[in-house]
Amino acid sequence: MFLQRRARFAYFLVLPSLAVITLLDILPIIESVVVSLQNQNMGRSNPEAFVGFAHYSRALFEEPTFWTSLWKTVIWTAFSVAGAYLVALGLALLLNMDIWGRTLFRALFLVPWVIPDVATALLWKWLYGDEFGVINFLLTKVGIINKPVLWLSDPLMAMPAVVLVQIWKLYPVMFVVLLAALQNVPKELTESAVIDGAGVMQRFRFVTFPFIKATSIILTLLASIWTFQAFDIVYLLTGGGPAGATKILPTLVYDKAFWGLEMGYASAISLLMLLCLLVISVAYLTIYRTQGLQADEARA
Amino acid sequence: MTKQTLDRYRLSFTLLAVYCVLVAAVTVILFPIFWMASSSLKPAPELFARNLTMLPVAWTLENYRNVWEGTSFPIYFWNSFKVAALSTLLTVLISVYAAYAIARIRFRGRGAYGILLLVTQMFPHILLVIPLFIIIQRVGLLNTHAALIVAYTAFSLPFTIWMLRGFFEAIPQELEEAAAIDGASQITTFHKVILPLAGPGLAAVTMFGFIRGWNEFLFALVFLQSRDLFTLPIGLASFQEEYTFRWDLIMAGSGIITLPILFFFLLMQRFIVQGLLGGAVKG
Repeated sequence: MFLQRRARFAYFLVLPSLAVITLLDILPIIESVVVSLQNQNMGRSNPEAFVGFAHYSRALFEEPTFWTSLWKTVIWTAFSVAGAYLVALGLALLLNMDIWGRTLFRALFLVPWVIPDVATALLWKWLYGDEFGVINFLLTKVGIINKPVLWLSDPLMAMPAVVLVQIWKLYPVMFVVLLAALQNVPKELTESAVIDGAGVMQRFRFVTFPFIKATSIILTLLASIWTFQAFDIVYLLTGGGPAGATKILPTLVYDKAFWGLEMGYASAISLLMLLCLLVISVAYLTIYRTQGLQADEARA
Repeated sequence: MTKQTLDRYRLSFTLLAVYCVLVAAVTVILFPIFWMASSSLKPAPELFARNLTMLPVAWTLENYRNVWEGTSFPIYFWNSFKVAALSTLLTVLISVYAAYAIARIRFRGRGAYGILLLVTQMFPHILLVIPLFIIIQRVGLLNTHAALIVAYTAFSLPFTIWMLRGFFEAIPQELEEAAAIDGASQITTFHKVILPLAGPGLAAVTMFGFIRGWNEFLFALVFLQSRDLFTLPIGLASFQEEYTFRWDLIMAGSGIITLPILFFFLLMQRFIVQGLLGGAVKG
């Protein structure tokens, strides 16, 4: 009787959140599927005409755009996440000591995380400037380059340039979480490893890393999911250019939907994108599971 | 020299090296922000000088005044504040109760609800923005702040509920039981006993919701059309076309959008980190 009343109370408490999430997360996904099967081309008449899988077959078989964008998204995601993870891990290992000013350093390393995307993009655009950008200025002064690099307008440089910004934006969250995970490594273990004469690298590989492995896997998965769908930075820095060099899937979807006004086609692409995310997640979690099992076997 | 003093020397040498690396890392990582601040405080000609200086030669607040008095920036600022504050209020109100329910009460569907919260966090915004644009147009809310406020609330909720759950779980259950024995109703117990103890959690969630609303770009870009409704992110982005090459204005504008967030963050970073860990690690 008491339990039943408690449960009813619980439903009452979660109801508002459930309503909002259904209306703004679930309903739109359904709408998106419907739209992707309809004509929905603002230029043409009869937007709600059913066209079946026409948009999907156009994306998958008729035009190369989806595949080129997907490939660029994979590059963008892989390099951003790998870079951010390495930076985060390096800083977390450094700060995982009892040193004075630890909290201050942690706060400072977190700062890029709170800078609004718009400010981030604009300020990096200013740093990357061809003629008056400070990066070109400093590199010229030190003598590394003798003429300005066109960071954002050279098709070869644009992708590395936007990836660097994403790394800057992405590493802080990974850093805090890794730092917290490192606290779980028992001090005695590291100390006994030192006594046993293990070097720094060996200590990391065999003592520290096993403790942060699970966290690392989950973190890189989350970071991949975020980066795969990130829109702001690339849109504001290059708009997908130059010559489509940074046209990752989110930018492609935006262009098709709100410039081309092809809502149906854009929805189909964005759902394919969701499918990719699902595949990544499942693959990742499968690896996680099998890795976990292996670790257990090794311990046994 | 004994072994101990040798060890001590080695230790202080390691420490010195660590500090050097840390300071170098901070310098490199925070340089972009330093450069934004420095550029925004330089008179415009200094920005385009042949020989750039790290600090302004003639410090000035002129750029900030030009942005604030010469453009629509105050309107954008107010719009952003309104949208971020109202969506944060809604987010906190809704997530507090939901988080308490999943932290403390066993009910059928609790697991499914938890999964729903995790899954919806994964939905790409670029996917949601198209159908939401269509739906919002259909119900006549396009080009209103209401649409943005509700959308921001919906996108923050899954994370904030998850985050608060961690804080509630850390509060000893005995406190509640004692209140129940004293005859307090469930809702009173929650309001009088639990909520005051979850202060840091509330601070973290409030901060998180506000940052989210203050920074959000894509939905504002798609939902808003009239300039007088623009929030700071899209207002500032529109400077790129409107005031091309006016980096003095753009950097001062970036400074204005960043400062409040940075200030609150540095003030409350302990709670925010705690909340971030509660939400991210448990998930």
